[in-house]
Amino acid sequence: MICKCALLFAATGLFAQPDSRSSGLDRVAQVATVMIDGDTCRRIQTPRSAQYLLQKDARDPWKASDNFDVNDEAFIETKKTLMRLARLCPEACDVNLWMPVPSDPPRIQILIRNVHEMSQFWTWGELHQEMPPEMKRVLDTGARVTVSRRPGMISVLAPVYDSVGDIVCLVEVVSLAAPDPRENVK
Amino acid sequence: MSDVRIYHSLICPAAALAVACVCAGASLTALPEYFRPDPFGAIVEPDRTAGAATATESVLETARAAYASCHLVATIPEGGHYDLELQPFPATSGIQAELYREWFHYLPSRKGYFSDALIPIQPPYRSQLPEPDNRIPKQTVQAFWLDVWVPRTAEPGAYQTTAVLRSGAKTVRMLVKLKVLTAIVPSEGAVAIDHNSYGTSWLADQYPALAKRLGANFFTSDEFFELIHAYHRIFYEHRGVFHQLGYGHAGKVGPEFAPLLEGSGKGKHIADWTLFDRHYGPLFDGSAFAGTHRGRSPIPFVYLPINPEWPASFLWWGEPGYEREFVNVVSEMERHFREKGWTATRFELFFNHKKRYKGFPWDGDEVRFARDYSYFKEYARLLKQAVPADSPVKFVFRADVSWTMERQFKELAGIVNFWVCGGGEFGWNPGAPKLLKDRGDIVWIYGGTPPITEPGSHLTTDVLRPWLWGIDGFVHWQTAAPGEDPWFHSDGGGEALVYPGDRFGIEAPVASIRLKIQRNAVQDITLLDSFRRAIKGERLTAEVARRFNDTALDEWWTPRPRLADRNPEDVSNADYEDELPKSPKFAGLDSAAWQRVHNYTLQLAREAQ
Repeated sequence: MICKCALLFAATGLFAQPDSRSSGLDRVAQVATVMIDGDTCRRIQTPRSAQYLLQKDARDPWKASDNFDVNDEAFIETKKTLMRLARLCPEACDVNLWMPVPSDPPRIQILIRNVHEMSQFWTWGELHQEMPPEMKRVLDTGARVTVSRRPGMISVLAPVYDSVGDIVCLVEVVSLAAPDPRENVK
Repeated sequence: MSDVRIYHSLICPAAALAVACVCAGASLTALPEYFRPDPFGAIVEPDRTAGAATATESVLETARAAYASCHLVATIPEGGHYDLELQPFPATSGIQAELYREWFHYLPSRKGYFSDALIPIQPPYRSQLPEPDNRIPKQTVQAFWLDVWVPRTAEPGAYQTTAVLRSGAKTVRMLVKLKVLTAIVPSEGAVAIDHNSYGTSWLADQYPALAKRLGANFFTSDEFFELIHAYHRIFYEHRGVFHQLGYGHAGKVGPEFAPLLEGSGKGKHIADWTLFDRHYGPLFDGSAFAGTHRGRSPIPFVYLPINPEWPASFLWWGEPGYEREFVNVVSEMERHFREKGWTATRFELFFNHKKRYKGFPWDGDEVRFARDYSYFKEYARLLKQAVPADSPVKFVFRADVSWTMERQFKELAGIVNFWVCGGGEFGWNPGAPKLLKDRGDIVWIYGGTPPITEPGSHLTTDVLRPWLWGIDGFVHWQTAAPGEDPWFHSDGGGEALVYPGDRFGIEAPVASIRLKIQRNAVQDITLLDSFRRAIKGERLTAEVARRFNDTALDEWWTPRPRLADRNPEDVSNADYEDELPKSPKFAGLDSAAWQRVHNYTLQLAREAQ
């Protein structure tokens, strides 16, 4: 009986140790690299919105965010894929999409988030932010990178390719050992 | 309806007397509600106006079913121990005096103190100056807020009681005179003043002692739900409405804001109502308000947890499964509400998300891009399928609108029936109230909360404006976020009208002076509104506007700016700044502005006797 329960709990991730959690998330990240269409990802943000993204106006601090806009079709297609990928995780997880922003020094924006509001990198409310070195490594090398900065939280970063073989963006497959059901409900 | 009758022409002798008392030792004086004292005996700079000074007795006048208020100012130049006593009004009158100690918040940005939070006290109150917990060096004055509740059953007439201050060997007394008029303030407010907030995680932060005591059980404890109800209660008792949005920008729903769901597609259903019913049951049946002066009453409005990810998964958006999940679950909700008899509250289908937060591809809040309207049309269709046409449960479709307001009024007619409008844009649409009200829509405007550094009268503009415009209410978009340290490093309280009582051992919010000023203004407007039958046309509103800030009714609307006829996608906040006029009659409003409206209200009430 005890063995059966242990197996059951292990299968549902309740007893998952960081290593097994990491490997579970890594497998999802690996699938994400295969499944997510980088060409579609490129089309998510509208060109007009991209023009505004880095604009700063002392008289209108919300200029970039007020003009943030996406192409519904590309967004929805990609988001649905991210949501399906999240269903492969051994426990509650989010699969977020991150897109580099052409800038010097390099910046990056989270482009699609998901229902558990989890990320180890997103500063809540930021339209774009400094490129974390771990993300730069993924974009430069194509390697998958596992990150555990925040206690209990594990993210696996993986590249997303377009049809010519270039790395376009990356996914963050992220889970938290003890999710807070109220965090970021705001 | 209070009136600290300290007419300007009579104030100087009284002030001189007050000063004389100070020189001789402890003194007890009174100030009208709009003149906030500081901890050293002066009136705070934004409230200073001609004739603003203390008086040696308080003369309050009020209609029934209402509060009358003023400041009591205890001055002890040499400091030290004191006690303040307030004798009760005759028990048979039902009139109740409620006393609060005023907290002096230190504002680093002003390098000074402003009173706002009100800590309930039971007289006799014994303490010392400087007040130990407020920690103000050389403090010589402690201010108290006096609320006098006059029930509708009170006999009209004159009453009085006495406040007594004892310090060392000295005892000083001050008369508190109260005149109760025949008029009764209607229980239904003439305008709804709404107080918005987001989620519940902040409750653990603002109530650390309670959270520590309850540990991991905090969010499922009776105390947690009681705390939520206490927030509703304090706003209700102050003639307001409280909203808590229960989901995030990517669709995460707080557990107590929605029933627990199970299954997927055609099998998706509500599995457990427990937390939802503990949260909302006492609010929807009104029992959470038993024991308040206003009596039990269901909350008039509530956000539903519906968002693009709840109850239907966005994974199925555009597919039959989305409609199936949405309609099945919302139908179950309608049935549950109907069976419980929760038919007085308006359940709001409301989308707060914005695409900038990267959860969904369209803006639910403040739509800027016209193609996003199609989502509203689809949700209206789904809601219509889910809710029987003859349901007694009141579902409404709410939209908070700004950039493309005028176009939404047209394109979403019959779809959205509850509009919460940016005040700036609404201000150049003088035809909008009639357009929307004629088709039965609810119309509110929204804005911020004037900080404590502004005269209290600024807050009353938000009470007056919807009434003058003939619409239904005003929303303060955030009212429960007083900042990290509101006590000793206040940020001005621009996102708070209540404060956590935790540091005073109170497991509930405490009110602010601004909330009380707002409540008293709502009382006045509600009583004024009842005079519409006697004073026809615009005479009543025109006179109120004139007394408030010497304006004609037209001056409350703004000329249509050029930006209104440009593509909203090309308009920026800076354009608003450039093109919207700034009238000194509004920006430079004096602290006594509402006192003039209040005096007019009392005059009409007396004439009606």
